[in-house]
Amino acid sequence: MELLEAGERVHSNNRYLQLDGEKKQMELSHKRARYELEKAASDSARDLEHEVDRNQDLLGRLKKFQERETEAAKNLSEQVEANRALRKNMEGLNRKLEERDTRLNTANQTIIYLKDEIRELTQRIQNQDSTTSSQTLENQELQEQLDLQRRKHQEVSQLCQSLQAAQSSCSEHIVKIKELERRLALQEQDIAIVKTVKSAVAKVPDLEKDLKRLREDNAFLRESRENCSLLKEEVEGLRRKLERMEKKKEELVNIELEKERLAEKLKAWENLGQSTGLNIRKPEDLSREVIHIQQREIALKEQNYTLSSRVRSAERSQNEHRGELGLQRSKTLEEQKKRETQDSLVRRLQKRVLLLTKERDGMRAILESYDSELAPTEYTPQLNRRLREAEDILQKTQSHNVEMEAQLTKAQEETGTLKLQLQTVELELESLKKHQASAADSNTSGTKEELNILRQKIEDLESERQRLEEQNNILEMRLERHMLQGDYDPIKTQVLHFKMNPTTVAKQLRQQDIDALREEVTRLSELVRSLQEGGAMVQGDSSINASLSPSLLPSKEVVDLRKQMEILELRNQRLKEVFQSKIQEFRTVCYVLTGYQIDITTENQYRLTSVYVEHMDDSLLFKKGSNGSMQLMETVFSKTLGEMMALHLHHQKSIPAFLSAVTLDLFSRQTTI
Amino acid sequence: MTSTLNGITLKGSAELVANFFSFGINSILYQRGIYPPETFSRITQYDMNLQLTTDPKLKNYLTKVVSQLKEWLFECTVQKFVLVITCLETNEVLERWQFDIDCDKSAKESSAPREKSIKIIQDEIRSVMRQITATVTFLPLLETPCAFDLLVYTDKDLLVPDKWEASGPQIIDQSEEVRLRSFATSIHKVNSMVAYKRTDSV
Repeated sequence: MELLEAGERVHSNNRYLQLDGEKKQMELSHKRARYELEKAASDSARDLEHEVDRNQDLLGRLKKFQERETEAAKNLSEQVEANRALRKNMEGLNRKLEERDTRLNTANQTIIYLKDEIRELTQRIQNQDSTTSSQTLENQELQEQLDLQRRKHQEVSQLCQSLQAAQSSCSEHIVKIKELERRLALQEQDIAIVKTVKSAVAKVPDLEKDLKRLREDNAFLRESRENCSLLKEEVEGLRRKLERMEKKKEELVNIELEKERLAEKLKAWENLGQSTGLNIRKPEDLSREVIHIQQREIALKEQNYTLSSRVRSAERSQNEHRGELGLQRSKTLEEQKKRETQDSLVRRLQKRVLLLTKERDGMRAILESYDSELAPTEYTPQLNRRLREAEDILQKTQSHNVEMEAQLTKAQEETGTLKLQLQTVELELESLKKHQASAADSNTSGTKEELNILRQKIEDLESERQRLEEQNNILEMRLERHMLQGDYDPIKTQVLHFKMNPTTVAKQLRQQDIDALREEVTRLSELVRSLQEGGAMVQGDSSINASLSPSLLPSKEVVDLRKQMEILELRNQRLKEVFQSKIQEFRTVCYVLTGYQIDITTENQYRLTSVYVEHMDDSLLFKKGSNGSMQLMETVFSKTLGEMMALHLHHQKSIPAFLSAVTLDLFSRQTTI
Repeated sequence: MTSTLNGITLKGSAELVANFFSFGINSILYQRGIYPPETFSRITQYDMNLQLTTDPKLKNYLTKVVSQLKEWLFECTVQKFVLVITCLETNEVLERWQFDIDCDKSAKESSAPREKSIKIIQDEIRSVMRQITATVTFLPLLETPCAFDLLVYTDKDLLVPDKWEASGPQIIDQSEEVRLRSFATSIHKVNSMVAYKRTDSV
């Protein structure tokens, strides 16, 4: 053990020495490092100073260079400005040169242009010369034609005049014929009139006889009428007399009756004196008696009034006494009630006193008991608390008691007042009953009237109530009906609905449909209008085509069809013209070659007029039969050709030979004439 | 539907009434031919066959209205619920189905559920639906294209929710009214009636 420890100690000492040595080495190295660092630091400081000096040199140089630069820039700008000025001069000179060039060019162009114009003008002059010469030639030709036309015109006008003369003579003849026909008609009418007049004249003598007879009858009837009227007047006068007589009879009867009545009255009045026993003979006595009686009546009435007034005063005093009696009784009752209340108060107070004494005794007993049972201080707070509680309870009960007593007094007072009222009412009732019984006779009518009035009022109110009840029922039913129909009180209720409800949505859709339909309708009507106008336009504008884009094809077809139609119509017309001209040509050729103008007057009838006829009316009429053969009809002209007809038609049976014979005959006649 | 218990709370009653309205409106739309019958599908409800629409727009509209109506029934602020049928051509009101709602305001959220058998309520609802179907026999034919609208009569001071607006009562001019059956949960009472335009005055 000790060895170990020694070994350890040695080891540790060694270690310690080693560490010491290391430490020293380290310190040495540290010092060396520091020394080197210091050296390096000084070197770097020196370098830094060098650098700083250099930097300052460089800055100075930089400044110099900058100054030089600015000078150079100034020089440069001056040079640039000089350059610009020179350039501007150059440009001005260039422009002037250009202007001169352009002027030269324009001058050249004008020269060329003028030369061209000269050439053109010379050409025109030549052309115009040629045209004038051609036109003079044409002019001459046209004048010759004009002369020809004028001659023809003169011939035609002569023909027209002859034709007009013939027409006028025709019309004159027609007029004469009409006049003669009219005269004939008039004469026939006159004949008829003459016949009727003869027949009328034959009837005249019969009429005269009838006339005489009628006049005689007339006179006779007038006389009879006069007699009739006279008789009627007499009858009326007699009738009136009869009526008057009857009236007078009646009056007579009435008067006799009255006379009898008056006689009776007179007898009664005369007997009155005897019946009453008074001394009455004349009316004056009667009047005297009446006056007496009236005076007696007046006196009696006065007595009556005085008695009634005394009675009323007596009754009034009686009522007053009764009232005083009632008051006195009520006063006594009040006094009695007061006394009773006082007695009850006294009793209550006595009860209270008893209760209080009992409580006090009780409290005293409790206190004594607590005093007797005095224990450690723990109980005293309890006791105090209990005491306080007891006091509270006591106070509460006392207040409750007081309230109860107050209520009781109120109730008793109320009962007392009610009893008073009851007694006063009873007194009044008794007084009323007595009053009623005593004054029943004199006031029956008054009370009855009051009763009736009151009854009527009650009945009116009952009827009013019933009416109001019925009205109420009707109004309730009406209200119920309105509530059923959906009416509501706007003060208490509001009606809500969803904004996007199906009805609004449906209405919107409907409106949209209607608008769309309207637009389509307008579009279709425009289309129709354009189709109707599109027939005039062959190709159609691009605008119309654009609007008709959905229905482009039909309009195109329509336009094509219209074009075709026009083409066909044109062709038709041209064909007609061509036919017309051809026919005309053929007819003229026939006329010229055969010498006959053939016209169709009616169906199957042909009229031939020769070239050489003397009168325009001379013509031959041929009819085509059903079997196709031609037959000559009789005309004025054909009657003059009897020989030739017999020869050529009957013997030779050749119409061409006949016609040529007629032509030759007419030609020979013309040439000779 | 609601719970199988016999007690009806305010919430449960509101849901019953709202469901009745939902099916009732579908039934009326089918019977009166406002929408084509092929857009309806048959379902079973209240132990009877009823028609329910499959048109998505209509379904959406009905669910929105009925959900709002359920809220108002819960708050007891709705007085009447009306289905109005209008002719699109003449903008005249032809039919009016009015359901008067009486709410027992003393039944608030916190009060105990009231006793009424669900089965009895279902029977009552079933009889009302049958009667609605039977009205087809006497109501005049709707020959022109028609659209319908749903109106709610509420208390005046109620806040108008978004997407709702005030409207007129859309009363029929010269109408005949027919009262139909009513049904009641223990908290809400619904009276039904239909009013239609008199045909001789058209």
